[in-house]
Amino acid sequence: MSLLDFLNRFFGKDNTTSKNVAKERLRLVLVHDRANVSPQLLESLKEDLIKVISNYMEIDENALEVNLDSSDDSVALVANIPVVRMKRINGEVEEKIG
Amino acid sequence: MGEVIVITSGKGGVGKTTTTANIGTGLASLGYKVVLVDTDIGLRNLDVVMGLENRIVYDIVDVTTGNCRLKQALIKDKRFEGLYLLPAAQTKDKSAVTPEDMKNLTGELKAEFDFVIIDCPAGIEQGFKNAIAGAEKAIVIATPEVSAVRDADRIIGLLEAAELREPKLIVNRIRPLMVKKGDMMGIEDMIDILAIDLLGVVPDDESIVVSTNRGEPAVLDNNSRAGEAYRNIAKRITGQQVPLMNLEVPDGLLHKFKKLLGFK
Amino acid sequence: MKVNPMKPKVQLGHGGGASPQVDEDTILVQRTLRSGQSVHYAGNVVVLGDVNPGAEIIASGNIIIMGALRGVAHAGVEGNEEAVVTAFRLQPTQLRIANHITRAPDGNYPGPDQPETARIKNGEVIIEAYQPAGERSTGIC
Repeated sequence: MSLLDFLNRFFGKDNTTSKNVAKERLRLVLVHDRANVSPQLLESLKEDLIKVISNYMEIDENALEVNLDSSDDSVALVANIPVVRMKRINGEVEEKIG
Repeated sequence: MGEVIVITSGKGGVGKTTTTANIGTGLASLGYKVVLVDTDIGLRNLDVVMGLENRIVYDIVDVTTGNCRLKQALIKDKRFEGLYLLPAAQTKDKSAVTPEDMKNLTGELKAEFDFVIIDCPAGIEQGFKNAIAGAEKAIVIATPEVSAVRDADRIIGLLEAAELREPKLIVNRIRPLMVKKGDMMGIEDMIDILAIDLLGVVPDDESIVVSTNRGEPAVLDNNSRAGEAYRNIAKRITGQQVPLMNLEVPDGLLHKFKKLLGFK
Repeated sequence: MKVNPMKPKVQLGHGGGASPQVDEDTILVQRTLRSGQSVHYAGNVVVLGDVNPGAEIIASGNIIIMGALRGVAHAGVEGNEEAVVTAFRLQPTQLRIANHITRAPDGNYPGPDQPETARIKNGEVIIEAYQPAGERSTGIC
């Protein structure tokens, strides 16, 4: 913890006060609650995404994250998909030939 | 013709019953005719908070099943002429009351009273559906906690789906010192999230425990901060403009020190 | 509905002979009755335990509680004015005998420290110290 961090914390100005943590957690929970998206739906969306993306690139399936988030008035689907390796274009060519 | 107001929260233990007792008593002290209806069948509590538990003979289930007339089941308050309680049943099956029953009941009550205040049970099941069935307005209670705010949000959605538009918020048990330190969500934080109008803010106050022990609503205690907040809320319900009470914590040494250093 | 406060305690023996109901059915409840629980019985009810606030006992005969009565007891529900309610500690939320309804007086009163019986006398519910039937008949207090 740097001196500045410490001072900020001491004087209640940083974003890690428990109030701000509470607010941020609530914000995310409510985005999900309000959108009425079930964990099962997100899970099957995840599987479909993996299926589609795997046709084009190799991804780290275990590190894949799919979440809802909101900014201002709109809700966004945020996916974090680590790419391990690109697949070769000739895969597509082969497919066409096949 | 009176007004039917439901007091609800989703989460249990945030102060619905205490608020119902205090708002009802507050309105009665302003001279209005008020009836409080406890719809928490099987877990009734409004009677003990009002100190009327030993007067109960008939209850809401006796009324809806035709076991007695509505007038027989209404219990007159000890303090105010125009204040009555319709108690919930304690030993009967909760499916005994239907939303249709509640519509009829509130219809009958609002012909007699200026305000019909309904104390809703926790949860979103049958009891909640009964409680809101006859209501025209809704007050949502939330404490500044993640769980209570989340449940309040859900309840607001359900109220809107049931055509109970524009519910009002009461923030209960706020601790100004903790808010100031950044360790509790403040009024603005909660309104920011829930996006509904504020009806009032009730500070956390030990006098509530004492008044509940005695069965005398805090709204009658002139020395109680929470009582003052409830008096203000009752006035706002009648349409008066009352500013929010001052919850400011007096400046401590640390605060002055911060100001000096330009941190605030 | 108006429920009158109980009359002050009368610590006197009962002169008239209460009609014994030895032939009536009696059930034994061997547990504490908690809030929301109720016992309805056509006959006498004896509880080996307490009756907590929010619990009720409704009997056509007498009610005897070998513990504290803090809930509601209704004896002689079909109109028997001879019915009595006896408890080790008689502190009911409300007490009813036949068509009479009483409650504790408002305000703080010390609880009883001895077994007591509630019965109807001259058209009112009175509470007296419990006395075994034999002593009562000889007039010894």
